[in-house]
Amino acid sequence: MTKRTIVAALALAGIFVALYLLLYKIGIVGNLSCSIGSCETVNTSKWAVFLGAPVAAWGVGFYVVMFSLALVSLQDRYADSLGMSKLLVLVSGAGFLFSAWLTSLELFVIHAICQWCVMSAIIVTLIFLVSILDLRAERDTEKITSS
Amino acid sequence: MAGQPKDRRPNVVRNASSRPKGTYAILILVAVVGASLLAYAATRKPESQPIAAEPVKIDVANAGPPQGYMMGKADAPVKILEFADFECPACGRFATITEPDVRTRIVDAGLASITYFDFPLPQHRNSQPASNAAACADDQGKFWPMHDQIFGSQDEWNTQATDDPKPFFMKYAAAIGLDQSKFESCYNARTHQKRIEANFAEGERRQVNSTPTFFVGDQRYTTALSYDELKKIVDSVAKK
Repeated sequence: MTKRTIVAALALAGIFVALYLLLYKIGIVGNLSCSIGSCETVNTSKWAVFLGAPVAAWGVGFYVVMFSLALVSLQDRYADSLGMSKLLVLVSGAGFLFSAWLTSLELFVIHAICQWCVMSAIIVTLIFLVSILDLRAERDTEKITSS
Repeated sequence: MAGQPKDRRPNVVRNASSRPKGTYAILILVAVVGASLLAYAATRKPESQPIAAEPVKIDVANAGPPQGYMMGKADAPVKILEFADFECPACGRFATITEPDVRTRIVDAGLASITYFDFPLPQHRNSQPASNAAACADDQGKFWPMHDQIFGSQDEWNTQATDDPKPFFMKYAAAIGLDQSKFESCYNARTHQKRIEANFAEGERRQVNSTPTFFVGDQRYTTALSYDELKKIVDSVAKK
């Protein structure tokens, strides 16, 4: 399995996690399955909305973009594209920072943890780390091919 | 070159040549598992929420007669009773998402009346003050507008948000055009504490242990019903 396949698979899983939270937020899923933490406290707090849209909707958008990029990067044409590796790191890095901010809000401001939000934070962290590994590998290849 | 990996072969189209054929199979597997779990979560019946660990200090045996807040015709063929907590998120979702439809298509259509009973859960510290505010608004004939304001802004006055919800209730009182001094003196005096306690006691008597709980006909429903579910229930009770 290539690193980019891992990124695509993680992003796809992230889409479902964020979609679940979004469906809850807009009232389609009645109750969150929440065995750890206080999902409702987090998802009904005022920080569950960012720039007029539910944070979960931003999450869905982010993962869809990430998944699309990963899929494109898997195509032969971009398979060795250093630029694509950089883009993956850039986008996942932005997602990682946003997620870190949300997690710090949960811990220090809302004082409640939502297990699905934590799962999303873990997924985005893994995507970021794997993207960095992909970039490093791509740079190594670049050095070899240009030497 | 120092630090250069030794086992890398130059001029190898690495990703393309090493991309496993199973890539799409893996993605399809993730998609199928994810979609199945999501469909299950969206369609499963919610478990009833656990009863609060500590009972509210309400003297159930000596509480007066319950007095809910009714909307609709008193002689409507079906009566919906709702036991709810102003801080409960599921009640908030019902009030803000489902109830507008219920009002226009069931209550206004004369199919049923809906009566709200306070059931402030003890872990929600600001829920009794919210019931207090709603009861004081009822004095001026504006229980439901206050009910909507309270539920619509649940996250700004709830226990997580503040230790002092009164300024928010004052703001809502102004927004719905209440006489603010009357409202405030009623709120401060807790004029309707007995009514709130009596409504809670009625819930206890009916063995309500989660919110929202609905009674329609002789049936009890311990979840935030969707409009379609409620309409179906009302129709079936009306036929009896």
